[in-house]
Amino acid sequence: MIVGEQKPFDEIWEMVKGHRQLTVFGCNTCVAVCHQGGNKEAEILASLLRMRAVQEEVTIEVVHGGIERQCEHPFFESAQEQLVASEAVLSLACGIGVQFVAGKYPSTPVYPALNTTFLGDVPADGLFTEKCQACGDCVLGVTGGVCPVSRCCKRLFNGPCGGSANGKCEISKEIDCAWQLVVDRLEALGKLDDYEKIAPIKDWSKDRAGGPRSFKLEGF
Amino acid sequence: MVTDKSATQVAESVEAPRETPVGWQPNIIAFACHYCAFAAADLAGVMRLSYPTSVKVVRLPCTGKLDHVYLLRAFERGVDGVFAAG
Ligand code: SF4
Ligand code: SF4
Repeated sequence: MIVGEQKPFDEIWEMVKGHRQLTVFGCNTCVAVCHQGGNKEAEILASLLRMRAVQEEVTIEVVHGGIERQCEHPFFESAQEQLVASEAVLSLACGIGVQFVAGKYPSTPVYPALNTTFLGDVPADGLFTEKCQACGDCVLGVTGGVCPVSRCCKRLFNGPCGGSANGKCEISKEIDCAWQLVVDRLEALGKLDDYEKIAPIKDWSKDRAGGPRSFKLEGF
Repeated sequence: MVTDKSATQVAESVEAPRETPVGWQPNIIAFACHYCAFAAADLAGVMRLSYPTSVKVVRLPCTGKLDHVYLLRAFERGVDGVFAAG
């Protein structure tokens, strides 16, 4: 899923304080799982903004709302009326959702309440870790299911580098060396021979080097 | 995620402290669990114990029902303190 973190409150306030009316709009899927941008967080943020407005003696009508996903048209039906009537929208979705709302309502200012941080998993309650960078050409099949693009700090395809020590990366003692994980996993799978194979130069044109990517299903 | 505590910004209070007027009573809202704290408050009533009228008790089926927004809404409406008992 997509992981985001709420921006510092002062930064959010600076973005929106010039408006007279604002809809704080949650996205109840990915960013709700990390408790940053769901409909509940939108309600909390709206309340904090109202209190800030009182303290600063400015008049802003702050309302909250939300839908299940801000990145697909059908989900907007229930909020259409509210969004059309809004002077501005503070979206708590990831960057995708913020852009989608902005695209849907071309004359409404839309602000991001979150910093979209990474594609990750939830290995333990309240912990989110990066696991993929959507490189467009997945190599997990030969790396024992450990992604070298997102988990190796240097994105090496023939690791480890000389900075790997005791299973940790030289960047930080808290970061596992991805290549140690690759080796451990290949060993467990009895596929250490794979480790000896030199990976060819990666085709980065399938990553961002080829510009923004899209994909269309036939028949739609 | 690794957080560098020394780099974490601590927000400065935006509200300047004000003089407390003489005789001022804080407006307190108490969220009380039906099964324990509210029952205790009831018992206190039966025992004719008194508490300031500026404390308002709201009964909840359980304090687990308490939500962030209940507290925030209370503050938005001008209470000075929230008391959760359960
Ligand atoms: S906009 Fe879509 S991708 Fe982004 S957080 Fe919401 S559901 Fe997830
Ligand atoms: S190799 Fe590419 S697609 Fe596969 S997990 Fe890593 S970043 Fe994602």
